[in-house]
Amino acid sequence: MGPAARLKRRPRVTSLRARLLISTAVVLLAFVGLGGLALEKAFERSLLQAQQDKLEGLIYALLGAASTTEEGDLTIALDAVPDRRLREPMSGLQAALFNELGIMVWSSAQPLEMPPPPSLNVGQWNFQRLTGPDAFRLSFGLRWIDSERNEPRLYTVSVIDDTRSFDRQLATFRRTLWIWLGGTVIALVAILLLILRWSLAPLKQLGRELHRIESGVQMEIEGSYPDELKPLTRDLNAMIVSEHNQQTRYRNALGDLAHSLKTPLAVLRGLSDDRQIPPSQQSLLDEQVGRMQHIVDHQLRRAAAAGSRTLTEPIVLKPLIDKLTSTLTKVYASRGVGFYNRLDPELKLRADQGDLYELFGNLLDNAAKYGDEHIRISARQEANLLHVDVDDDGPGFPDAPEKLLERGARADTRKPGQGIGLAAVNDIVKAYGGHLDLARSPLGGARVSVTLPLR
Amino acid sequence: MRALVIEDDPDLREQVSKFLSDDGFAVDVAGDGDNGVYMAEEYPADIAIVDLGLPGLPGLDLIRQVRKSGRKYPILILTARDGWQTKVEGLEAGADDYLVKPFHREELIARVRALVRRVGGWTQATLNSGPYIVDTSAKSVLVDGKPVDLTSYEFRVLEYLLTHAGKVISKSELTEHLYTEDEERDSNVIEVFIRRLRSKLDADSQYNPITTLRGSGYRWDLPRA
Repeated sequence: MGPAARLKRRPRVTSLRARLLISTAVVLLAFVGLGGLALEKAFERSLLQAQQDKLEGLIYALLGAASTTEEGDLTIALDAVPDRRLREPMSGLQAALFNELGIMVWSSAQPLEMPPPPSLNVGQWNFQRLTGPDAFRLSFGLRWIDSERNEPRLYTVSVIDDTRSFDRQLATFRRTLWIWLGGTVIALVAILLLILRWSLAPLKQLGRELHRIESGVQMEIEGSYPDELKPLTRDLNAMIVSEHNQQTRYRNALGDLAHSLKTPLAVLRGLSDDRQIPPSQQSLLDEQVGRMQHIVDHQLRRAAAAGSRTLTEPIVLKPLIDKLTSTLTKVYASRGVGFYNRLDPELKLRADQGDLYELFGNLLDNAAKYGDEHIRISARQEANLLHVDVDDDGPGFPDAPEKLLERGARADTRKPGQGIGLAAVNDIVKAYGGHLDLARSPLGGARVSVTLPLR
Repeated sequence: MRALVIEDDPDLREQVSKFLSDDGFAVDVAGDGDNGVYMAEEYPADIAIVDLGLPGLPGLDLIRQVRKSGRKYPILILTARDGWQTKVEGLEAGADDYLVKPFHREELIARVRALVRRVGGWTQATLNSGPYIVDTSAKSVLVDGKPVDLTSYEFRVLEYLLTHAGKVISKSELTEHLYTEDEERDSNVIEVFIRRLRSKLDADSQYNPITTLRGSGYRWDLPRA
C-alpha cells in the first residue's frame, strides 16, 4: 500500500476528544456489561442453591412425619409438616411418594401431570428444573424399614415447588443490578467528559492562539502550556519566525538575482539595436536575449509565486486594487482609462501580498491595454469561493482564449510585453488552488474571472 | 530636450545615453544615487530615467526627494524587478512610468517621448498645429503636407517650442534644454536657429508660428490641432 492509499483510508473520527470518549466508553461498557452478567450468573446460582436447600429441608421434615399404613405402605401425616403451603391447594408446593415400581403411593394434593422422577438409588438426590409445569423438583431415594415387618421397601420422595418465587427474586435482582450499573455508567461518562475537557483545554487554547496568529492579531504563541506541549509551542514559535525571515530572505535573494541578471541582459538587448551590427546578427542576438529573458522571468516568477501559506495574515483587497489602479491611471494617463473598483472594503483574502499584486496588476494592466475606457473590478462570494471579475469594454478575447493562458501566446502581437501576463496570472491562481475563466464581459469587452478558495 | 540618466551599470548607462542623444536629447548622466539626486535637483531637465537599484541613495528615495524639492519633470523608472509591487511603489514615490529590463531601444524612446509630450499636454505621437505636422520619432516636419528639411538642432528648437506651445520660452531656457553642462553654449546661436526656422517653416510670412517677445523670449502661437 502506497502512502496515497494510506492517506485515503484516514479514520473517520478526527477529533481527539471523540476518540478518547469512544474508546473509554467501549471499555466502560464492556466492563460493566461483563461484570453485570457475572453478577447475575452468580446470583442465580446461589438462588438455585437456596431453592435446593429449602426443598431438602422440606424432604427431611416430610420423612420425619412419615409412617407406615396398615397395608404396609408409607404415608405422611401432613399435619406434622411445618410448611403450611403443602396443605393448601394451588400453593405451588407439593410432595409425593413413589414406590420402587415408580407408582405414586402418596401425594399432598391433586397430583400434577409431570414425568415420573428418575429411579434413584438409596440416599441419592436429584434436583431438576421441569419445564411443564414450570417447577423445581427435588427427589430422594430411600429405603424404609418397618420395625414391625422387618421388610425393607424402596421409595422415592419428591418435592415440587413452582418457579414463581425464584423468577420474581431473580427479576428483582436483575432490575436493581442493571439500574445501578446504568447509573454508574452515566455518572462515569459525565466525569469522563469533564476530565477530557480539562485535559484537552490547552490544545483548544493552542488552536485559538494559532487562529489569532493567522489573523495577524498576535505574532507568536504566548500562553503557558503543559510540559507535553511545551516543545511543540516552542518549535512552532521558531517556525513562525523562520518562515517570516526565510520568506523575506528568499524574496530579497530573488530580487538581487533578477537585478544582477537583467542589467547585462539590457545591455545585450541594446546591442541588438545597434545599427553597426549587421541585421542578420542583430535578429539572432535579439532572439537569444529574448530567450534568456523568458527563462529568467519564468523561473523567477515560478519561484516567487508563493501559493497559499498558513501563517500569513489576510490582506484587504480593495486598497491593494486601488494602489494598482492609481498606478495604471498614471501610466495610461494619455489614454484616459477609468477604473471602477466595486470591491467590498471588508473583503479579505489570505494570500501573499506580492502574489496578489502580480495577479491583479497583470489583469488590470491587460484590461487597461486592451480596454477602451471603462474597467470594472467586482467580486462575489459563493460558499467557500471568491470570484473576482475584471471587466473591460475593449474588443474582447479572440476565438480561442484558452491559448492565452499558455506562456508566450499573445492576443495582439502589436502590443509588446503581453505574452506572459495571463500565463503568469494563471500560474499564481493555480498555486492557490483556484482557476481562471475568460469570457465576454457585460461591458462588451473581455472578462477575466478569478476563482480562489477562501479558507 | 534634456534628459538625465541615473544608472549605476556603466555599459547600460552609456547605451541609454547614446540611444537618447541619437534621438536628439541632450543627456546628462549620473552613476550613483548621491550624484544623481544632486543633478536631478540642480540641473534643468525634461525627463529623468532612474534605475531603482542604485548604490548610495536608493532610486525610490531619490525620486521622493526630487519630488519633494519641487521638480516636476517626468521620471521613468528602469527596474530589473518587474513585480507590480515595485511598480506601485515607484509610481507612488512620484515616478510616471516604468520600464522593465531588458528593453528595446524603441520601447525606451517611445516611453520617453510619450512622457515628454504629456508635459506639454500632447497625447498623440505627432504634434499637429496649424499647417504643421511634426513627427517627433521620425524627426520629420510637414508644412501643408510638404516635407521640410531641418537640421538636428533646428528640429530640437522646434520640438521644444511646439511641445510647450502657448508658453513663453526664454533664450536661456532654450539653451539649457538643448545643451548639457559640458557643451559650449552661445545664446546668439538660438537667434540664428529661430531665424532659420522661420524662413524654413514660413517662407512667405503667412502663418507666423513663432512670436518673439522682446526681452523675455519666444512663443509658439498657433493653436494645437
